[in-house]
Amino acid sequence: MDKKYLLKLYIVGGTSHSERVVAEVRKICEEELDHHYVLEVIDVLEHPALAEDERIIATPTLIKVLPEPLRRVFGDLSDREAVVLGLDLRPLGDTPDTDVP
Amino acid sequence: MNRKVLVIDDEQSVRNAFMLALEDTGSDVDTAENGSTGLEKFRNGSYDLVFLDLKMPVMDGATALRRIRELDQSVPVYIVTAFHQEYFAELKEAQRDGINFELLHKPVSGDDIRLVVEAALGGTAAREDKVDG
Repeated sequence: MDKKYLLKLYIVGGTSHSERVVAEVRKICEEELDHHYVLEVIDVLEHPALAEDERIIATPTLIKVLPEPLRRVFGDLSDREAVVLGLDLRPLGDTPDTDVP
Repeated sequence: MNRKVLVIDDEQSVRNAFMLALEDTGSDVDTAENGSTGLEKFRNGSYDLVFLDLKMPVMDGATALRRIRELDQSVPVYIVTAFHQEYFAELKEAQRDGINFELLHKPVSGDDIRLVVEAALGGTAAREDKVDG
């Protein structure tokens, strides 16, 4: 099993803005985490219960589920430095071991 | 220069919550009690951010959203709503039509209002969740 980050992105899907957000987040993940991540994109309009369970305040929100601690950022997710610092994204060698099946 | 925020909601308590949360934050908060009044204010003002309730008399939030987008494609608009399917039918129509908007969970605390306004107007907000138990 790979050691990976597990990230969840909550958006209002299907709009030009959300498509841009998804692309920006994927770009940051690719460049900061190489392939060592799983990104789940959740449309809150389709899955409101998931957003409710995750205590989402506003869209777009990006959550780092693993490795712990759980952290979240929202607002301008194209700000690489803010996203990296806010989620504490680091090279995997610097993080606690985390297995994502 | 202060940021201008427009809050459109038929509940006085919600409008007050936004005004209280954003006082002394460098934001000027303007309010309206329904979509029609809100649209009129939006047309005559210059706002940096809009919060919009869904269920309102005279003109509902989904209609007001469409009218605002006819006037301005770029201003951030947050629909303030509970996250339940029953509230989302009209928003899904707007989504299918490619209308840009974001969601803000209702009820919302003063701290969350400040965080979201900062994030919407100033960049990115971050939070580390407390461990339950």
